[in-house]
Amino acid sequence: MTTLSAKTRPPGREHPLPWRPMARVTWRQHRGALITLVAASAALALAIVGGELDVQGPYARYAADGCILRPIHVPCGTLANRIAVGTNGLDALVIALHLLPVLIGVFLGAPLIARELESGTFRFTWTQGVGRTRFVVTTIVLLAAVVTVTTCALGALLAWYAHPFEVVGLESRFQAGFFDTTTLAFPAWTLFALCIGTFLGTLIGRVVTAMAATAAAAGGLLVAAFWELDHHLLSLGALARPVRPTGGLFLGVLNMPAEPGLGPVGSWLVRGWITGPGSYQLSSTAVGNLQNRMNAATSKSGTSEAAWMSLHHYTYWLSYQPADRFWYFQVITGAALAALATAFAMMTVWLVRSRG
Amino acid sequence: MNVIETSALGKRYRSIWGLRDCTLAVPAGHIAALVGPNGAGKTTLLHCAVGLARPTTGRVTVFGHVPAGSLDALERVAFVAQDAPLHRYLPVTAMLDLSRNLNKYFDRNQATQRLRSLEIPLHHKVGKLSGGQQAQLALTLALARHPDLLVLDEPLARLDPLARHDFLAHLMVTVAEEGLSVVFSSHVVSELERAADYLVVLAGGRVQMAGVIDDLLAAHAMLSGPADEADRIRQLFPVVQAREAGRRTSLLARTPVAPELPDGWDSDGVTLEELILAYLRDPSASILPGPFAAGRTSNVVGHDNA
Repeated sequence: MTTLSAKTRPPGREHPLPWRPMARVTWRQHRGALITLVAASAALALAIVGGELDVQGPYARYAADGCILRPIHVPCGTLANRIAVGTNGLDALVIALHLLPVLIGVFLGAPLIARELESGTFRFTWTQGVGRTRFVVTTIVLLAAVVTVTTCALGALLAWYAHPFEVVGLESRFQAGFFDTTTLAFPAWTLFALCIGTFLGTLIGRVVTAMAATAAAAGGLLVAAFWELDHHLLSLGALARPVRPTGGLFLGVLNMPAEPGLGPVGSWLVRGWITGPGSYQLSSTAVGNLQNRMNAATSKSGTSEAAWMSLHHYTYWLSYQPADRFWYFQVITGAALAALATAFAMMTVWLVRSRG
Repeated sequence: MNVIETSALGKRYRSIWGLRDCTLAVPAGHIAALVGPNGAGKTTLLHCAVGLARPTTGRVTVFGHVPAGSLDALERVAFVAQDAPLHRYLPVTAMLDLSRNLNKYFDRNQATQRLRSLEIPLHHKVGKLSGGQQAQLALTLALARHPDLLVLDEPLARLDPLARHDFLAHLMVTVAEEGLSVVFSSHVVSELERAADYLVVLAGGRVQMAGVIDDLLAAHAMLSGPADEADRIRQLFPVVQAREAGRRTSLLARTPVAPELPDGWDSDGVTLEELILAYLRDPSASILPGPFAAGRTSNVVGHDNA
């Protein structure tokens, strides 16, 4: 009987698999996309730093003049207006950062496996000694690591840039859009887009179709988060407190930063409502009637809204998220998106393993 | 030991069977040619053997017991797919690096020397190379892994006659030097006899003939004689193919080495091309050694003409 055992190969030419060699393979295969990613991130980082330098002077004076604690002073208003000029730049950067996860999903994730399948090179790659599972797992992990580190840095930079605007009360890190582009949520969104792109590319097997599907899926969810999902998330477990109305009543769904007097500094207002005698919540019609009565009474007698409501046993309530809960919600968002990304990555590996 | 062994192997693509009930053993140390018409299941069989396709039924192993497609198998099996699918946008040197990084063992020096000897420009992108150069590059990358088994799917299809000659010549030299086993599929029957010493014929998703080529040729003869006595010969020997020309008939039959023939009958040897074509024209004819008898394939087992 013929025997055939593995060959004894010349020494010094074997090297371990998979991490270092696979890192070189990943770099070689995706260096175009990675260089573009780093270049785009560097450009965004420069824009962020530039924007921060512009507001640094006015913000330093704002802080030095004690405006952080007592923003009522007249010079504080002037300084706040000078800082407010920079919000356009911040908004533009927030929009640009929203595009980045989608672009990474479309141009890095979707073609990752789809190109191998479409061009047929999977018949070369998947029959090499590394094996298809290790190849796909290490490629996804390495790219995910690069993308996560890069976007984490960008998210942190944006949070740093936005801090003066937040202190002045021009922006809130709870704000939809801004919430998704800060330190934790931003890399999680990017990771999610990368993994759903990779999954769709593997499922569809056509680069252009997979890119379109990824743009629709990742972009769609990001838009849904901006318009709806973030608001629902940020309403979970909101605290409620009675508030003395000053300068009008904010009722219904609010989703706005708390102005002085309406909530703790840096908190996020979720909803406002009024309860009557017996603690029942007034309907919108009842609130309308109440406001008419109150306006008529306060304009005639000169009493304040707060005094009138107290006299008639009405209470104005606001629910809010305290500032220190921001990181809880960031962790929840980041963990949910990371879990989705992991699920898509695992389904990708399963598809690759079961293909054939 | 068998480098490829299948047992009742079947592969279905949706409702169509690409391969069915395929039981086969290719012994080590051979250059085995896998032939068959289009759609016979050659590529499917090779893809199952290298782990690219998952069997629907049955099983496939390499080197006796190693599951096809496992990491142990992939380290010892090199595969060159049909049309040599390489990364067209990468330079040749990058393909060398890629292969080196994707395998525990890769002899880059040997690969570079071979490519230089073939005058393949190392800094050109793969997509700029001719079809023949791409095929040679793919073979070089596979050989540099020093595999125990080299599997080639239609390696000659894109080559002109001269390149085909050089390709096979190099393959034979490498096999002689390194003692590896080779299984390759091909449509080019005329080239097989020079390169291969073991033959597997697939038709309709099933193995129709398998064995050492010399044994298969020795076990067949072209018998010529009077047409009206053809039935008498059919009772003596299994006939694979019959051709009548006027009052004479030619029968390609499975015979002993020196068959005793009635008066008026002559016996001639058959060429490999005649043998393959005869079997392909008669899908019901088969001659198989069976998976576990591969070590003694010189003994062609009995006829099972259905």
